[in-house]
Formats: sequence, C-alpha cells, structure tokens
Amino acid sequence: MMTLLEILKPDFILHHALYGSVVIGFVCPLVGVYFLLRRLVFWGVALPQVSAAGIAFAFLLQGFGLAWLAGSESQEKHLAIVASMLFTGLAILALAALERRGRGVPEGRIGVLYALAWAGSILFVAWNAAGETEMLGLLKGEIVAISEEDFHAMLDVFGLIAACVFLFQKEFVLVSYDRDMAATLGRSVLAWDILLYSIVGLAISLGVMTVGPLVIFGFLVVPPMAALPWARGMTSFSLLASFLGGFSALAGFYVSYTRDLPLAPVVVGAACATLLLSMGLRSLMGRVR
Amino acid sequence: MSLIEFRRADLGYGSVPVLAGVEFEIPPLSFVGILGHNGSGKTTLLKTTLGLIAPLRGQVLRHGARPGLPRFGYVPQKERLDPIFPLSAFDVAVMGTYSRVEPLQRLRGLQKKGLVERCLAEAGASELAGRPYSDLSGGQRQRVMIARALAAEPEILALDEPLAGIDVTTQKSLLALLRRLKEERGLAVMMVSHRVQAEKDLFTHVVWCDQGRAELGPAAQMLSSGRLSEVFKSEP
Repeated sequence: MMTLLEILKPDFILHHALYGSVVIGFVCPLVGVYFLLRRLVFWGVALPQVSAAGIAFAFLLQGFGLAWLAGSESQEKHLAIVASMLFTGLAILALAALERRGRGVPEGRIGVLYALAWAGSILFVAWNAAGETEMLGLLKGEIVAISEEDFHAMLDVFGLIAACVFLFQKEFVLVSYDRDMAATLGRSVLAWDILLYSIVGLAISLGVMTVGPLVIFGFLVVPPMAALPWARGMTSFSLLASFLGGFSALAGFYVSYTRDLPLAPVVVGAACATLLLSMGLRSLMGRVR
Repeated sequence: MSLIEFRRADLGYGSVPVLAGVEFEIPPLSFVGILGHNGSGKTTLLKTTLGLIAPLRGQVLRHGARPGLPRFGYVPQKERLDPIFPLSAFDVAVMGTYSRVEPLQRLRGLQKKGLVERCLAEAGASELAGRPYSDLSGGQRQRVMIARALAAEPEILALDEPLAGIDVTTQKSLLALLRRLKEERGLAVMMVSHRVQAEKDLFTHVVWCDQGRAELGPAAQMLSSGRLSEVFKSEP
C-alpha cells in the first residue's frame, strides 16, 4: 500500500511513465469501443503491428545514415512518429476502401496485413542492428524513457482525441449503427468515417510509439469487452471502458514496478483480469436472477 | 406536384442495372407498395428513392413540400441493425432528431425528450423507451424504428419489409399504425413487401418489380387477379 501511495506522488521518479500509461489506458478504450461495435476487433490486432513496422522502418532509415532526416534523439523520435502515422494511415485507408467495396474476406485481409507487418518489422530490424534495442524496448512497452516534452505533447494529443470522441459521439454512433439512416438524414458517412479513422490512426501510432503494440491492442479491445455487458448507453459504455483501461494501466504499472516485470504484458494481464472479473460477475448475477 | 419522379432511370449497383428504364411518379399522400420476388430490385428501388444509390442512367427527381429535398423517415430491415450496440429504445428513437440539428449541435434536453416521447407514444412504444433495443421482439423493434422515423418529421415514410418475420397479430397492429400515421400526419408511405394479402387494402398504388422492370399503377389495377397471376407465373 505504501508503494502505491509512493508511486502516486508527483515527485515519484517515473511519474511521467505512470501518468502516460494511465492516460493511454483512459483514452485508447474510447476509440476501441468503435472497433468492438463495428466488429473490427482484428483491426486492433493488425494496426498496432503496422504502426510498429512504421517505427522499425524509421529506425532503418536512420541506420542507412539518412541523418538529414533525424539528427538529434528527439528528431529520431519525431521521424518514428511520422513513419508510424504514415504506415497506420495508409493501412486504415486500404482496409476502409476494401471494406466499402465489400468484396473478399475481411478477416483474410487483416490476417495478411498482420503477417506482412510482422515480417516487415523483423526485416527492417534485421537490416539495421542498431535499431534492435529500440524495437525490443518498444515491444516490451518501455515507457520509462519518455521525456518531459514528449509527455506533454502526448497529453495534448490524447486530450484532443478524448474530446473528439465525446464531441462527435452522436455522429460516430449514427454512422456506425445505421449508415443508410445517417445518409438519409443528410450526414456524409464518408467524411465521418474518415474523421473516426484518423482519430483511430493517431491514437494507435502515438500510443504504439509510447507503450508498444501489445499494450495498445490490449487497451483497444479488452476494456471495451469488459464494459459492454454493463453498458446502458453509449456514454456509459465509453466511460466504463475508459475507467477500466485507466485502472488496468495503474494496476499493471504498480505490479510491474514492484515485481520488476516488463510493463506491457503486466498491463495487458491486468486488463484481462478485469475482463474475467466482469464476465464472472455477470454470470453470477445471471444465476442469482 | 409529385414527390419523386423517375425519368428513364436505370437502377442498380456497379455497372449492372437491376431495374431498367424506370419511369413513374410517386404522388403526395399515396401509400405505395413495392412488390416483387426475391432479388427483383425492390430494395434497390427504395434505396434509390432515398438517395442512397445514384441511378446508373436517367434521373430521379425529389421534390419536398418546402424548398429543397423531401425529408425521409427510413425504417430499414430490422436484421440490418447490429444488436451489439448498447442502446435503449429511446437512444435509437433519438437518432431521428438528428435531422433537425447540425453535427455539433444538440437538441436541448427537454425539447428532445418531449419530441422522442411523443414519437414513441405515436408508434405505441412508450413503455419500451428504457428497455435495451436488442432485447425487444421483432414487432417491438419495428415500432421503435417507426418512432425513430417519425422523429425526423418526414414527408415520406420509407419502410423496407417491416412485416418480415413478425407474427400475424403484430402485423395487423403495425399495418393499423401505418394507416393511422399516414392519415394523421399526411405522409406519403413507400413500403417494400414480399406479401400481398395483408397489406393490399392499405395501398393506393403498387409498384411491381419483375424481370428487370418496375411499373407503377393504382392498387386496384395492379393487384387484380389477372395481373397477379401474370407476375407469379414469372417467379423464378
């Protein structure tokens, strides 16, 4: 208990890492609810991996001596963020375009994208041994090295994402629930889809850069799944998913810090524990009734 | 003036017309039944009317009572809406009010509540307001969908197979509801249907979709026994 109080103090040495994880834990499920409702959960698996491939590609460029692209460490990170956003954005555009055409097998496309992204990540790292350490850190979810500047930039962007999700909730729900109705009401379904996917792309690419693909996948999918059986409307669904994500991040960070374990798997483990608890409680309530 | 005007329109998806050379007008205050076999183009015709699909060739003109496009209230096939969404019947009906506001605007709480409650009451779904939409029966869902369509203050109510998979008693009460709404609100109604018997007394006009053609005429003429046997003879 003392340790928990200790890590919550503002002078805690890793407070940026803790607050960063919790903010991502709060915000990613707000985006993830739309993955679940649109039955695009597999996008949540593939896109973080695509984003990681983008980061590996940025490290590869630097390994090839393209110093004009990135001189200082901060510039290196910015290049990685740009590459991550570019890869994620292109993948979302391609998936959305194929989805709209309605041909082929959606799960097959996502499977191919996931395999390609994994293969790309490994090859980009293999061609640039110097990037291996960074990539390994990324996959383990090493947020501890986050700088003051990056932390504040991350807070701004994730704050903006959360604001957009709540501000445009009625439009996002309408176009996700009944596209034809949205069109008859004069809404541009394409424009709202693009905005939603842009928010998704931003959350994933910045999140993966900060805590790695595993944590982002976990936050996109697991808290919304745990929240869904208890939801009594979209706002309660979003808020509960967000709370469970933030709580999992805090609990995961605490266990990771006290047991000296890698952050990413512990945070995902904590999120899965909330899901199991939610399912157990639901089943118990069903039996009592 | 007619509400909807098809002028030598070819309707379909991609480049393949499902219905060719469609040419008729939907008069105001009419109750139009869109009938035909499976895959004959009934839903394509309705979706083109709503502006969800552009005609491949020709023109589809829509004239509102006020300047601009007419307001539609749309009731889709009930299976199309995913029950995974954690929405109450009230939440679903509220969506109809979005036609009155810009994307970032919201109707004020009491104004919105009053309007939605009124529409739910008109559709005979007041007691369903707080229940999860996914828990409702087929007939109850259709009532909520009709309430949602009414909340858009429509000039034209467009329904896609609203009676499919619903028991006979509920079908009768839904048809009585549609008749009442048409009269009280002065609506034009377009309804895709698979069947002829239960609804035939409601229709003022009928569109038969058959063998790539769509033809509109007065219900009495289009549902005459000679015409029916002609259509059903062509059933694939």
